[in-house]
Amino acid sequence: MRIPYVDFKPSTESVKSSLIDAFQRVLESGQYILGAEVSAFESEFAKYCGTEFASGVANGTCSLHMLFRALGIGAGDEVITAPNTFIATAAAITQVGATPVFVDSGLDFNIDPNLIEPAITPRTKAIVPVHLAGRVAHMNEIMEISKRFDLKVIEDAAQAVGSTYYGKKAGSFGHASSFSFHPLKNLHAFGDAGMVCSNDRSTVEKLALLRNHGLADRSTCSQWSLNCRLDEMQAAFLRLQLPLLDRWTEERREIACFYNANLAECVFVPIEHSYEKHVYQTYVIRCKDRDDLKRYLNSEGIEALIHYPTPIHLQPAATNLGYQRGSFPIVERLADEILSLPLYPGMPTEHQERVVSAIRTFYGAC
Amino acid sequence: MTYLVPYNYLPQQFQDTEALFNLWRPVLQSTEFTLGPFVEDFEERFANYIGSEYCIATNNGTDALILALRASGVGLGDEVITPCNSFYATTGAIVALGAKPVFVDVDNRYQIDILDCERVITKKTKAILPVHWAGASPDMSLIRDIAQTRGISVIEDACMGIGGKIRGKSPGTFSEVGAFSMHPLKTLNVAGDGGMVVTDDQDKFLWMKKYRNHGMTSRDVIEFWGVNMRLQPLQAVVAGHFLDQVDQYIARRNANAYLLDSLLKDLAEHVKIPERPKEFVETFSLYMILASHRDQLLRYLVENGVEAKIHYPVPLHLQPASKNMGLNSRSLENAEFQAKHLVTLPIHQYLERSQIEFTAQLICDFYKRSHFTHESSICT
Repeated sequence: MRIPYVDFKPSTESVKSSLIDAFQRVLESGQYILGAEVSAFESEFAKYCGTEFASGVANGTCSLHMLFRALGIGAGDEVITAPNTFIATAAAITQVGATPVFVDSGLDFNIDPNLIEPAITPRTKAIVPVHLAGRVAHMNEIMEISKRFDLKVIEDAAQAVGSTYYGKKAGSFGHASSFSFHPLKNLHAFGDAGMVCSNDRSTVEKLALLRNHGLADRSTCSQWSLNCRLDEMQAAFLRLQLPLLDRWTEERREIACFYNANLAECVFVPIEHSYEKHVYQTYVIRCKDRDDLKRYLNSEGIEALIHYPTPIHLQPAATNLGYQRGSFPIVERLADEILSLPLYPGMPTEHQERVVSAIRTFYGAC
Repeated sequence: MTYLVPYNYLPQQFQDTEALFNLWRPVLQSTEFTLGPFVEDFEERFANYIGSEYCIATNNGTDALILALRASGVGLGDEVITPCNSFYATTGAIVALGAKPVFVDVDNRYQIDILDCERVITKKTKAILPVHWAGASPDMSLIRDIAQTRGISVIEDACMGIGGKIRGKSPGTFSEVGAFSMHPLKTLNVAGDGGMVVTDDQDKFLWMKKYRNHGMTSRDVIEFWGVNMRLQPLQAVVAGHFLDQVDQYIARRNANAYLLDSLLKDLAEHVKIPERPKEFVETFSLYMILASHRDQLLRYLVENGVEAKIHYPVPLHLQPASKNMGLNSRSLENAEFQAKHLVTLPIHQYLERSQIEFTAQLICDFYKRSHFTHESSICT
């Protein structure tokens, strides 16, 4: 039996019947660029996140890139973020000519707020906390620091749609936030898509301009920019899925709960605090003999992945930033201990049980 | 309003929704939603069609331009020479790289003025970015000669050039890297955004392929800082589908364009049709003429059911975005004159002969009725 890391067939099945209608609606409209579906999804998503405004973009990388541009972050500026995330977070900072300044994480995988302040310099313009794996970073502390130092906070909420922290949704804490609807995200397009959310009207208006060539109207370009528009068709698909997201999240949480209950004696499972709701975009354990465990699971047909095996500061791309092994001890240690287990809405119970029993067997706990 | 001669032909082109569902079904079933076989298949077919070694599909034409410029080494502080009458994306791509657009004037075919290019070359000039504007083309071999002599690169904006030919060779294949767009109103189009670059240079190809997808060499190794400018697989299959039909579209557009040319011939006093060299096959992405009393003509056409447009009323060097950057220092007379007189008429592949005749008749009526004096003529 092969147990895939993720399989979206069960969740796609539930929107299948409406897909054809959505296709038809868009095709017949003859409006394939920033049409009715994009604007409708923008308002629906803003409402879901609890922000006033939202603007659809082509993907989660360009949402960060466009946000930095909209907020005037550029050459010579520094942006504080975590080194244990997908490359796009740091890449978007470099894209505007700014420098990513990394800060180590805690054992919960999220940026350690106690280490942010020492990393602040006169050049620091913003903090980009990443809500890694589906858990909101320590936003109370981060917002407090940002106020004290007058820094912008841009949440990279790509992995955390729907997660909450003291009752507030991911993406609604900072000055603005960035979402990705990449096919492997909890809320996913059938291709690339992204969104920027904010309560600040001028930021979102600026962003809406920048994502569409800087065009104030068809004949007036107020600022040279590029094209990173949310695809109309993908917006239509996302609209079909948004009403199902909370149900899918609950399914994810139930599976996580099952894993937690059965694996806690063998490995470190993600601990959820009473003030937060984790959405388990990835279910990440910390474990001994990780590589052996991964190999063993693979030999049992279980697909387990590592998010991510090489922290960004140790990637060839980051050589010019001057970090080395040892710069971020926790993140480096985590890179050797973490393993992401299969988890998705509609995952068969039998598969979940197999994952549990294989891990327990590996550690001799059965 | 519903036009008798509409500009937008998408509802017609995409009316066979069943055929499109059949293209999308295998993509949805495969769950190959980021790059993968559907995109690769299209890239291979497009490279073949256009006559290049390599093709890399991007999220849109602007991304294709950025990718092409970057691959040619354009960066911070470089100057890039470009015509002042393109779509905003041409300049946007240059600025996105921190380079400086240097605008040049255009000739009577609305194409980049090659002599003007020579005038503005400086030590900082890194590249010329000519545009195959409207789906016609400048003389690419002349541009290539100048660039070679002066040691600068050429990158083509062939966003409107798919299906065109210069002496049998496709726009986009005359330079190191050519960029294309598949925006819904391009000759080869998708139901959203799409674009691509082509090149014969293997090193550039390999670099661009990585840059397009986060600078990744594998899932776990990031060689350099990259971006995400991937073509959507759902659009790749649409593009592949229409690629089979694009030559027919071009033939239809040409027939309509030349018909309209012939019907407007007798209005030479008021209407100026650009020269159309025999060795060029144009795509007629935009069918444009110069017209006297343009604004009144435009209103008359629109009111009477012809969806005419202007591409564009304000040239790039006079846009607020240029003024903010101090890019408006030279006056570029031809382009400025054309911006006041250009009108774009619908000639797309779904228009019938009668609709073209109707358009021509309206234009004739307009000038007859209005008794314009000779001094307002376009030929002065």
